[in-house]
Amino acid sequence: MTTGDEGVFALRESRRILREEEVCMSELSKMRNIGISAHIDSGKTTLSERILYYCNRIHAIHEVRGKDGVGATMDSMELERERGITIASAATHVVWKDHDINVIDTPGHVDFTIEVERSLRVLDGAIMVLCSVAGVQSQSITVDRQMKRYRVPRIAFINKCDRTGANPYRVKQQLIDKLGLNAVLMQIPIGLEDRLEGVVDLVTMEAVYFEGVNGDDVRRAPIPEGLKAEAAARRLEMLDAVSLYSDELMEAMLDDAVTEELIHNAIRKGTIALQLVPIMMGSAYKNKGIQLLLDGVVNYLPNPTQVTNTALDLDNNEEIVVLKSDEKLPPVILGFKLEDGQYGQLTYIRIYQGKLKKGDELFNTRSHKKFKVGRLVRMHAASMEDIVEANCGDIAALFGIECASGDTFCHPSLNYSMTSMYVPKPVISLSITPIDKKSADNMAKALNRFTKEDPTFHSYVDPESNQTIIQGMGELHLEVYVERMRREYKAEVTTDRPEVAYREAISQRAEFNYTHKKQTGGSGQYARIAGYVEPIEDGPDAKEFEFIDMIKGGVIPSEYIPSCEKGFTTAVKKGAQLGFPVVGVRCVINDGAFHPVDSSDQAFQTAALGAFREVYEKAKPVILEPVMKVSVEGPAEFQGNIFGSINQRRGIIVSSTEDGVNCVVDAEVPLSEMFGYSTVLRSLTQGKAEFTMELAKYSRVPTGVGEELKRAYQEKRRKEQGR
Amino acid sequence: MEVQELNALSPLRAFEQSLHGGLGKGNLGVLVSRHGIGKTACLVHLATDKLFRNEHIIHVSFSGNVEHVINWYKEVFRQISEGRSLSDAATIYNEILANRVVMNFSQENVSVEKVLSSLETLIKHGSFQADAVMFDGYKLTIASEEDVRRIKQFAMDMKIEVWFSVSPVRPDVVFDEHGVPNTIMKYENLIDTLIGLKYNEAMDKVIMTLVKDKTVHNPIPMKVSLDPKTMLISE
Repeated sequence: MTTGDEGVFALRESRRILREEEVCMSELSKMRNIGISAHIDSGKTTLSERILYYCNRIHAIHEVRGKDGVGATMDSMELERERGITIASAATHVVWKDHDINVIDTPGHVDFTIEVERSLRVLDGAIMVLCSVAGVQSQSITVDRQMKRYRVPRIAFINKCDRTGANPYRVKQQLIDKLGLNAVLMQIPIGLEDRLEGVVDLVTMEAVYFEGVNGDDVRRAPIPEGLKAEAAARRLEMLDAVSLYSDELMEAMLDDAVTEELIHNAIRKGTIALQLVPIMMGSAYKNKGIQLLLDGVVNYLPNPTQVTNTALDLDNNEEIVVLKSDEKLPPVILGFKLEDGQYGQLTYIRIYQGKLKKGDELFNTRSHKKFKVGRLVRMHAASMEDIVEANCGDIAALFGIECASGDTFCHPSLNYSMTSMYVPKPVISLSITPIDKKSADNMAKALNRFTKEDPTFHSYVDPESNQTIIQGMGELHLEVYVERMRREYKAEVTTDRPEVAYREAISQRAEFNYTHKKQTGGSGQYARIAGYVEPIEDGPDAKEFEFIDMIKGGVIPSEYIPSCEKGFTTAVKKGAQLGFPVVGVRCVINDGAFHPVDSSDQAFQTAALGAFREVYEKAKPVILEPVMKVSVEGPAEFQGNIFGSINQRRGIIVSSTEDGVNCVVDAEVPLSEMFGYSTVLRSLTQGKAEFTMELAKYSRVPTGVGEELKRAYQEKRRKEQGR
Repeated sequence: MEVQELNALSPLRAFEQSLHGGLGKGNLGVLVSRHGIGKTACLVHLATDKLFRNEHIIHVSFSGNVEHVINWYKEVFRQISEGRSLSDAATIYNEILANRVVMNFSQENVSVEKVLSSLETLIKHGSFQADAVMFDGYKLTIASEEDVRRIKQFAMDMKIEVWFSVSPVRPDVVFDEHGVPNTIMKYENLIDTLIGLKYNEAMDKVIMTLVKDKTVHNPIPMKVSLDPKTMLISE
């Protein structure tokens, strides 16, 4: 054994011993799978760092943009540390007061929302971090929507109570007004801003201080005189709200016999039923309030047995099956995230039913492949520890499994699929060109990995230009991947200007009657089809393409109907205006003709293709562009500049909200106009404003812009043909 | 039904007739009643009618919740478009929304001066040529005379119509037979059009009375009333 190997061995050994000390694994009631979600810069990563520290997972605290240059532990990628943002969710396991807690740190930028969505899918509960100054921000609303969609019970943590302008009471009101949550204060602050000393725990009615170098020592003391009345009033308010979920507590209140346990149970019940959001507060940066938050996680968020999870039985008409958190049952596991890091390919899994041991055989229900569980590990940000088995409810990772993100793994006797995850379509594309052969090889490797890891990231080679195109959810999303190609794969690439994923559509009904006839030696080709195309009415269930067969009397034999459909399906993939897909179109055929010898599948496909090309112009085609919901937040003094910048970008201001100091401007702006907006906004507002955006809808481009796009497209095609 | 026809048949034409052609630019109009009578719906209906006629509207709210206001517009539009079977309603809704901006303020922290300056910023920097500003839930009855004068001046300078929906703040306010509180009368000289809303149980309608129109101060019942079910103005 070399010295290096000895080191690794010793490290593993020490981890194993550490593992054996944590003997609370098997009890499901003592397990929590939680996520931390919030708006950008609300301090999620800082909070995660404190959680790791107080749970003895790390022995020193490193700040996100700290002077020590180490960066926060959860931000394991080099790029994340440099930019101070969290990109991939890092999973980690901690132990707090005999409870196993799996924490997933989720990214805050909206471009990476798929990560947030994926984490929420596998979590049983979440901490929603809010800034005590900025309160409920645009991204908090997005996160709230996602939490509601996946029915994730949560605790709100009002962070940054040490900042100037901190007002947790206002944030509480915003949670009620803006998000419609039944938010209830569990604590009140002792002092605020730079005078923040600790919090009053409204359950125990004690003042709690966090002392020592890193706030390690939690000291409980009587409530300061000046806060007694306020605390009593807030406690009453809390008890009134909480007692709705427990008759026992209600009775105890009447008898004046309220106990801490009764309160905790009632809060837990309300929280799990998604009817109550307990609010805790503090300052992660100043090491205040985190231990109580961890208590809250243990006391109020559900364990895996308290959450109902379902799967679809693929052998039984996709019947919904309720999964049971029982380790004796055959395992059902979801692979929710892939990562190809320094240790090889990792698949993050959540075990919903049964237990998993090294050497077990599993069945991937998508690829129909069986595989053996080799290495099973538990992740701690960028490092890991080997484990022999993982129980239901647990989050772990597998090594070297060939799979895609979102795959379900079952015991070979089962054929279940966990409900599919919502994956938004990409709105932006970028062509990338490697600078040399080596970079080209590396780029291919990188793209292979990224597309597997992230379902919102796509790549393909454009057959016309022969260029590699990457697609994603926003400028930053693609920028980060290009940067990761450079850093992690040494793939140097040049990029063009990002391009918007336009769509084409028709605006009116038009009729066609097209004959495809070819008689040039050999067997001929003959097919005639007639009918009409029309736009599909807008609506939540509107399809992108519809084919209707209204042929009567067999004028087109039934075996050629699918050929017609195929021809139309091919035609709508690439519209004649910009070469983008044509959406929202209904193709109806009601007449036609065939020849007993010359008609064929190919002839009818070609006829449908020709018919669509012919009718497209008549149906007054239009170009649709993605329009983003943009939310800009900044000091009210820059409101004029913000309005101006939106106005210059063909934007529509939907609303603006002002509270005297800050303003939030919500607008709808075409994505094509948003390139480089972050730089513009920075210079317009002295760097004091920030913005987030997400896809709102597809809208028609104005005629002038459309003409310009068509001209550019024709120009590009001419150049490509000339080449 | 097409938009032009919908506009011609709108009960708002009768509303304007009662006002001898409408409020007019540079003027202040006030809808006043007790709480919960339907002023906001009435104000949103007035605004939606203007949007249907391609006018630009700024809706100023003090509720702290923009979504709430936006939902009012959605609901009023839905009622009108479904009631009249408006063709291509979804497209029209998206089109008219481009002409509406909701500005939300917390009245406690933001002065009238600041509100007006933000409106001016939107009109000038945002190039939003507003035809009317709807002040929803502004506490006019406790505003200073100076504040109201400033708003009036703003309306004249910017050549816009300004509508207020007003409910009295204090509980001891006395209402007259038209639903108008005595506290509003101190600004009477600054208000160009004053409309009182009062629920009539026997008729199951909210009666609208034109209490003051420009210089004429002779309360007359309007040809329109408020339907308590749909909360829309109807003939």
